[in-house]
Amino acid sequence: MNSRLSVARWGIYCFLLGAALFFLLPAYVMLVTSLKSMDEIRLGHLFALPAELTIEPWRSAWSSACTGLNCEGIRGGFWNSVGIVIPSTVVPILLGALNGYALSFWRPRGSQALFAVLMAGAFIPAQVMMYPLIQILAVLGIFGSLAGIVLVHTIFSMPVMTLLFRNYYLSIPTELFHAARIDGGGFLRIFFELVLPMSVPIVTVAAIMQITGVWNDYILGLVFAGREHLPMTVQLNNIINTTTGTRLYNVNMAATILTSLVPLAVYFASGRWFVRGITAGALKG
Amino acid sequence: MLKFARLAALTFALGSAHAAGPKAEVIHWWTSGGESAAVKTLADAYISAGGVWVDTAIALGEQARAVAVNRILGGNPPTAAQFNTSKQFLDLVEQGMLNPIDNVAQQQGWDKLLPETVLSVVRVKGHYYAAPINIHMPTWIWYSKAAFKQAGIATEPKSVDELFAALDKLRAAGLVPLAHGGQPWQENIVFTAVLANVGGTELYLKVFRDKDRQTIEGEAFKKVLLSFKRLQSYTDKGAPGRNWNDATSMLITGKAGVQIMGDWAKGEFAQARQSPGKDYGCIAGFGAKSPYIIQGDVFVFPKTNDPQAIKAQQLLASVMLTPATQVAFSNKKGSIPVRTDVDNASMDLCAQQGLAIMKDKSRQLGNGEIYMSPDQNGALTDILTAYWNKNLPVEKVQKDIAAALKN
Amino acid sequence: MTAPRSWWKVRPGQLSASVALLPLAMIVLVAYAGTVLWSLRVSLTDARTFPSDVYVGLAQYERLFHNERWLLSLNNLALYGLLFIGLCMVVGLLLAVFIDQKVRGEGLLRTVFLYPYAMSFVATGLVWQWLLNPELGLQNAVQTLGFDGVQIDWIVDQDKVMYTIVLATVWQASGFVMALLLAGLRSIDAQIWNAARIDGIPTWQVYVFIVLPMLGESIATVFVLLLTATVKLFDAVVSMTQGGPGNASEVPAKFIMDHLFGRANLALASAGSVVLLLSFLALVAPLFYARSRYQKRVGHP
Repeated sequence: MNSRLSVARWGIYCFLLGAALFFLLPAYVMLVTSLKSMDEIRLGHLFALPAELTIEPWRSAWSSACTGLNCEGIRGGFWNSVGIVIPSTVVPILLGALNGYALSFWRPRGSQALFAVLMAGAFIPAQVMMYPLIQILAVLGIFGSLAGIVLVHTIFSMPVMTLLFRNYYLSIPTELFHAARIDGGGFLRIFFELVLPMSVPIVTVAAIMQITGVWNDYILGLVFAGREHLPMTVQLNNIINTTTGTRLYNVNMAATILTSLVPLAVYFASGRWFVRGITAGALKG
Repeated sequence: MLKFARLAALTFALGSAHAAGPKAEVIHWWTSGGESAAVKTLADAYISAGGVWVDTAIALGEQARAVAVNRILGGNPPTAAQFNTSKQFLDLVEQGMLNPIDNVAQQQGWDKLLPETVLSVVRVKGHYYAAPINIHMPTWIWYSKAAFKQAGIATEPKSVDELFAALDKLRAAGLVPLAHGGQPWQENIVFTAVLANVGGTELYLKVFRDKDRQTIEGEAFKKVLLSFKRLQSYTDKGAPGRNWNDATSMLITGKAGVQIMGDWAKGEFAQARQSPGKDYGCIAGFGAKSPYIIQGDVFVFPKTNDPQAIKAQQLLASVMLTPATQVAFSNKKGSIPVRTDVDNASMDLCAQQGLAIMKDKSRQLGNGEIYMSPDQNGALTDILTAYWNKNLPVEKVQKDIAAALKN
Repeated sequence: MTAPRSWWKVRPGQLSASVALLPLAMIVLVAYAGTVLWSLRVSLTDARTFPSDVYVGLAQYERLFHNERWLLSLNNLALYGLLFIGLCMVVGLLLAVFIDQKVRGEGLLRTVFLYPYAMSFVATGLVWQWLLNPELGLQNAVQTLGFDGVQIDWIVDQDKVMYTIVLATVWQASGFVMALLLAGLRSIDAQIWNAARIDGIPTWQVYVFIVLPMLGESIATVFVLLLTATVKLFDAVVSMTQGGPGNASEVPAKFIMDHLFGRANLALASAGSVVLLLSFLALVAPLFYARSRYQKRVGHP
């Protein structure tokens, strides 16, 4: 029994380590490329360690890479991204929770159909919704503003957020709910006093998903956020992408890694919560 | 942000004691280091003239143009937006979404100043809707002197046949003959080069401008397509998907001999501290009358009734075509000025060559996108890239192209 | 059982629920349903850069279905969807199950598998292009080490290029699948494990016959999320292959995007999106219906 276990455990570790190597391969190339000079990169030895290590690309990516007329790296967009991410996480989560709650416990007439259409909406690529959304926001007078981009992020995240919360609440025993109703609880009271306190794990999960998605979003921020609120991803794209300009791959890699540090930090910080969050039944139903 | 503050301060210092000059928010897609230096010359010119430049750079032409159109739709248009010298902004003109700049055009005498090809693009139904800033040539033939030396090629090829002979020599020497990036727009460039050099100016115009079905399905055009396909056999296996810069790198490191690419390639050579005539050579075309393919960038001015914005638009349009701005911009960008009456002392070898050719009006020829709509050009590119990558019978390709351009 | 509730206690709650759902209903109607209807209308016109009022019937759809690139993109997406969803599920499940074995360094391993999800595909896509390029990447490295015959050149092969896209996107997404399934695993009652151990059932049998069925709901949700990711496949193709070689790795979302902006052909792009959406709904609707019937049967609300 013991020897079989250790063979099995060897197998497990081998598989996990092998998978880890596969997953880490691109990261290795990115890191190594970001520490080389362009002359070295041009030689095309992808896996070679830098002959002459340089952190100039990192400095440049953060503060002096050109993103247009201005050559100030990606740092300019950092606070813009933060300013977009926070409301675009809070509002969808609030709405998602409220909707999930209404759809799971109360189920007013027509809500099932509403949910079905909402889920269908999850299959529409963002580009398709671009034109009509622009015109809607223009009519509302918020095209190119912070309110506009938050509204757009809310719209696009409604299907997944609602799904998450609805399924989570479906796993809460209905007896609790009925008891609260008998006690005289109305719609909002039950939400704030019973349901919301129980939602901490799922809110964590939703927050992680939303923060990652909004932080890395490019196309929506580009079109709807307005010039003053352009997120960091726009600078990142300006550094990386060009049609006829020269490409500085080392700076591009450094800039990408820098931009991804925020979602990565969020993962590190709440990794444990993330797992525990979904534990409580978000995935049922 | 800091730069903006400094520019604003400079404006206050230079300009009058009261309000800052006309503010222009400009959307463009010049985001790399060299391009940034180029747009700075334009911004500096505008600022010296008393204006205030607000920069909105968005990488990738398609993306930037899409944002410009979206902002116009959303009621928040920029003061000026970059487009290519092409039919891209015709729909905007038709929908009345652009302000014309007729006074500037008349004052500066654009009718006499601009090449006919460029004029035909910026002047629509008698009004002027775009200010051209430069001319790029997409079909230069670059070669690495080191690679040529290694392959024993003593002189620069002077005809299409000599080019193929050189490619054969490069292959024999174990080098990659043609450095190519397998992306559809790059295949379009190679085709344009072959059409111009193998087909000649007349055939070129018959196909791109007149879209004449008989010519497209004829023998001369077939020869062009076959030469195009023949070039594919000189590329290396890793070509598909490759960025054009990586192909230029192959020339820089001496691994490949020839690349067909636009004059912006000079930027990559310069970055690697290589200079024309010494480390690499540039061929505009074969034959004394080879055409100079014209492509370029222009700025359009979205419709607005705000008098300050209109002032900014007029000012911006007027600084674009001054000789000083033209030369300064093109030197940094790798292009050549739209006007040929400039001093070429500060221009590099290849640009001087280009300017000289442009002085001969009969050699001026527009790029595909000047004659075809974006949709037609796109459909053509689809067919070309399919033909480049697959073994299709050339007659089918001819038929497909005729159908695509008919639309 | 509970006493019959007075109707006047029920009504206000239901009303509040309806009111609370109002913003959602508005969003759904205006944004989603509205967009689809708008796209449908535009697809029946000759719109170029801007919407137009000139109706041309089904001409755009005709052009669409005579377009080799579009047809190829649909084929590619079908192939991609099968492989991507299948592999993500398998890899994600295996990773989750193996990590669930109380391995050392679980936190570190979980991070290693999750980090791709945090990175923008614009740069990681380019890295994959380099890695899979025969001259530059893995094939070159392996051959330099002495294994001459090895060929890792799918990315330049028209018939195999879609597999490279599958590879890169599975790399990006399976860590997330792993995390979700791991959570599902962790929510299974410890008593089940104890009972199985007492009964002497080997671990792998517990997984296959007991745990897997219990994960059914989790897997279903992951399936939906992966399906939506499949429809929206765009960034990976653009940054890895640009749809190439030729048009071999074209996908519908890229076709639509190219025609929407690059080709200034709003009508054709809209026709494409309508077709794409309807195809997916046709695929997914029966699944949803079956699932809701199953849920009613097992007593879910």
